[in-house]
Amino acid sequence: MGGQSVPDLFDGTATTIAVVVLLLEFLMLRSALLRAQVRLYAVQSLVVSVLAAVVAGGRGVPELYALAAVSFALKAVIVPWLILRLMRDASTEIAGSGVLGVASEIMVALVVAAFGFFTVNVLDIHSDVLPASALSLAFAVVLVAFVLIIMRRDVVSQAVGFFSLENGVSLVSLVVAAGMPLILEVAFLFDLLVAVVVFGVLMRVHHGRTRSLSTAGLTRLRG
Amino acid sequence: MSGGVGPALSPPVIQMAQVATVALGAPLVSGVIARVEAMLQGRHGPRVLQPYYDLAKLFRKEALAPIGASPFFLAAPVISLACYLIVPLLIPVLTSYALPLGYMGDILGGGFILALASFVVAVAAAETGDGYAQLASSRAKTFAAITEPVMLLVMFTVAIVTTTDLPYVLGATVRSSPDQIVRPAHLLASAALFLVILFETGRIPIETHTGTTEFGMIEEGRSFEHSGPYLALLRWGSMAKQLVLFVIFLNVFVAPWGLASTHALGDVLLAIVLLLAKSCGVGCVIAVIDDSFAKLRLFKITEFVAAAFLLAVMAIFTLYLGGG
Amino acid sequence: MSGVPFLDVLLLVLALLPVAAALASVVLPHRAAATLSLVAGLVCLAAVLRLVPAVGGGVVAVGFLRVDALSVVFLLPTAFLYAVAAAFTIGYLGDEAAQAARGSAAERREFGRYSRLFFVGFNAFAWSMFCAPMADGLALLWIAVEVTTVISALLVALDNTEGATEAAWKYVLIASCGLGIGLLATIVMYYAGAQSLGQSYDLALQPLIGHAAALPATPVRLAFVLAVVGFGTKVGLVPMHTWLPDAHAEAPTPVSALLSGSLLAVSLYAILRYYQVAHVTLGDAFPQRVLLVFGIASLLLAALSLLQQNDLKRLLAYSSVEHMGILAIGVSFGTPLALAGVLLHVLAHAAAKGNAFLGAGVLVRSFQTKSLTRIRGAIDRLPWSGPLFLASVLALCALPPFGLFRSEFEIVAGGVDSTRDVPTAILVVLVTLAFLGLLGAVARLVLTPASTAPAASTARGREPSVWMVTPVLVGVLALLLLGVHPPADLDALLRAAAGQLGGVVAS
Repeated sequence: MGGQSVPDLFDGTATTIAVVVLLLEFLMLRSALLRAQVRLYAVQSLVVSVLAAVVAGGRGVPELYALAAVSFALKAVIVPWLILRLMRDASTEIAGSGVLGVASEIMVALVVAAFGFFTVNVLDIHSDVLPASALSLAFAVVLVAFVLIIMRRDVVSQAVGFFSLENGVSLVSLVVAAGMPLILEVAFLFDLLVAVVVFGVLMRVHHGRTRSLSTAGLTRLRG
Repeated sequence: MSGGVGPALSPPVIQMAQVATVALGAPLVSGVIARVEAMLQGRHGPRVLQPYYDLAKLFRKEALAPIGASPFFLAAPVISLACYLIVPLLIPVLTSYALPLGYMGDILGGGFILALASFVVAVAAAETGDGYAQLASSRAKTFAAITEPVMLLVMFTVAIVTTTDLPYVLGATVRSSPDQIVRPAHLLASAALFLVILFETGRIPIETHTGTTEFGMIEEGRSFEHSGPYLALLRWGSMAKQLVLFVIFLNVFVAPWGLASTHALGDVLLAIVLLLAKSCGVGCVIAVIDDSFAKLRLFKITEFVAAAFLLAVMAIFTLYLGGG
Repeated sequence: MSGVPFLDVLLLVLALLPVAAALASVVLPHRAAATLSLVAGLVCLAAVLRLVPAVGGGVVAVGFLRVDALSVVFLLPTAFLYAVAAAFTIGYLGDEAAQAARGSAAERREFGRYSRLFFVGFNAFAWSMFCAPMADGLALLWIAVEVTTVISALLVALDNTEGATEAAWKYVLIASCGLGIGLLATIVMYYAGAQSLGQSYDLALQPLIGHAAALPATPVRLAFVLAVVGFGTKVGLVPMHTWLPDAHAEAPTPVSALLSGSLLAVSLYAILRYYQVAHVTLGDAFPQRVLLVFGIASLLLAALSLLQQNDLKRLLAYSSVEHMGILAIGVSFGTPLALAGVLLHVLAHAAAKGNAFLGAGVLVRSFQTKSLTRIRGAIDRLPWSGPLFLASVLALCALPPFGLFRSEFEIVAGGVDSTRDVPTAILVVLVTLAFLGLLGAVARLVLTPASTAPAASTARGREPSVWMVTPVLVGVLALLLLGVHPPADLDALLRAAAGQLGGVVAS
């Protein structure tokens, strides 16, 4: 039964930051304005960068400072700016309504996150960089991002859901792969940037064709 | 315990002092919140002691009851105020050590008594047959279906941490080191409790505290049919509930400092002052929230309480992940 | 061993030539770009064929690129289809080019833009699919597969019809999510490797496979499952396959051929690399069980869906899902015979599926419709393309003497060898079911007389240009070669690659 041992200051702070990332993910489930979702993603990327910096300072891995800076620049500044720019032409401000109501979506996401927590906990993977609870939280972020993508009915929400999935994966990499060569981590980030550009292009194509950002009409291809 | 400033008081006296502090200090806290809120809006605002004058005025007025209301209708305000004044016996209001009657009930018992008071008022409102009162009462109970479990979960979280649910021990544990406050489970539980407090005291974003808008009133509507001294008792009870919840929030979760550790009179008086000051601090935060956000539409309140539920469940999860 | 510098040059050619062609296509006019693509394709095919005997014994490596037997097996489909589809494109776009030349200036500009985007994308797509098997390390492999996703998503949307837009969005979203999971798999595998290789290694293949026996079991298990789910999304394993019929049906025909023939194979290559590590660390049972489950699910769903298709290209897309299921089941059998069959199947499927799509493109062009009910009497209207298309589909159904018969036979024999009788039986039953569906639909298209076509058909009834027929003919001949008598070099290559997959653990 957990809770018998108090985590030390570093572990507690790190786990709190990971919890904040997960809460931001849940907040994205709730926000109805497209621009608000993009800004939440920017804040989430900022928090992940902050965690990278905290790990760099607390555990003495100096390359992570560089990673935190690059990740902040790319994911918290450039990517949201790109998306907002690409959305400029679209006149829709409100996200399409989800499949279920917000409270129900939160309940579903909670169940999914719980599944993620306890599955990863069972696997008993230890890391000397961050506490194992951070790993469970990171997997939960990935799973809740999936819920976001499934439950939403417009292209921007789905795209932002995918980007926040990448945030969850970055969090996992901070926990178990903090020593990965910097060049690989930066390569992953640039790959994400390319993906963002392609997503943006396809969003524009979709908007150009259907004059809306909703995916409710994408039902032609079935069977 | 010896030491401290001034003559030593006996524990029962201190315990009565706790009840008196809550009873007499509650209108003050309400007054401060109203004044601060008005100042933030750029108005001069009512005087800080206004709630006392309002209560005095109401006690002088005539009491009416609707036709067909049972004696329960008249008993409800008295019962609710009594409940709200029993809870200070159980929780650390002024002292950091347990007082004689403090072992009468644990935090779960305290939660039960609070819920009982709320239930009694709701039933009294529902049995009047008046439209608005029934409306408010049913709304309150619908949302309470989610917020009551949140309260319980919050209490369980802290209880699991310290393997006890006596409030005094909880407070002591939180005081013991800074690690305890930074742990995510604690922060999440505190956040969840704060959201529940916003709901229970009827603040934005749940409802406008002072208005009686048909679309949104919950707290105000329940006292719709009471008048005169009974209305005074209900108002007093709700102010006492507000202070009690603040006390739980502060002295168990967030800021359990400044409590008297000795029997001495001087320490106790200092504790009273600090308690009221801390409560006014929380009140100012609530006033700022009042002025920063808009009231949620009624069916969006489920999102709000779902968020509180989410935070409470996450607190339990991070606790179970081992050292969360 | 790094080998003769000439082989290094071949690797560099494969890595650089297509991207050079892509860059050049930005400025070249349509004819020149098409010819350049064809030349690049033929040169790359020659380079890969030259590599075949070289890696039978060892490894060719330079910088970030590393090619062993398994890699070359997966370079072949791309190279072959690159050349074949480039030839097909000359004819495919040739009609439209002629039409645009006769039309207004706006039409010419429009077509010029389309053709430029097409050739840049086409060459870049081929380049990314070359890079993935050549990448030295799991991290670089993931990056290469991600690049293939983004480029192919843009290509799927190229036609700018309603269906293409929908298909492209679904594809990019689902495939990117799958690759997100794939990235998780890479990271977890990194974590596993870090325990014995130190904290800063770079997921290079050779050291990882060398130390595979010393890796901790739980992270490798997690990484393998995540890899199968994540990369399996791009392979088209059920239940992550939902993007596949849409994307393959709505893309332009040469792109569909590349998607079905080589992109699925390259994604499978990624799974096979993870299998290579996992089955040394975890033993045979767990990885094979995972692959078996996904394989049977894919085969079952595909076989059932083939029975009720209405759209020609979707029919072929579901056939791709079926064959990927067969490949997964084949790997799960684990014997050297089955593994060799799997690798041969990859090659033969690439040729057959590529041909089928190209032939379907011709049919769709001639009959102006993709609906299976409205195309009739192809054998009369298209005396060359009709029978060639039928031959490709017969090859897909694993009819002898084509290559797919040989490979499926080897897989089934491998299954019986390893005493996995029940899965083998299920495999045979489901393949028969798929055969029914596929052949039933296609036979009606080709073998019925033209007079039975519905009155509303708008067939143009012209045999397309020789550029569109020759590639399919070449493909069918390649299939015959693979089926009847694979060249000795190729045989040696397949055995070496199967040995690599099978690893040191005796199955």
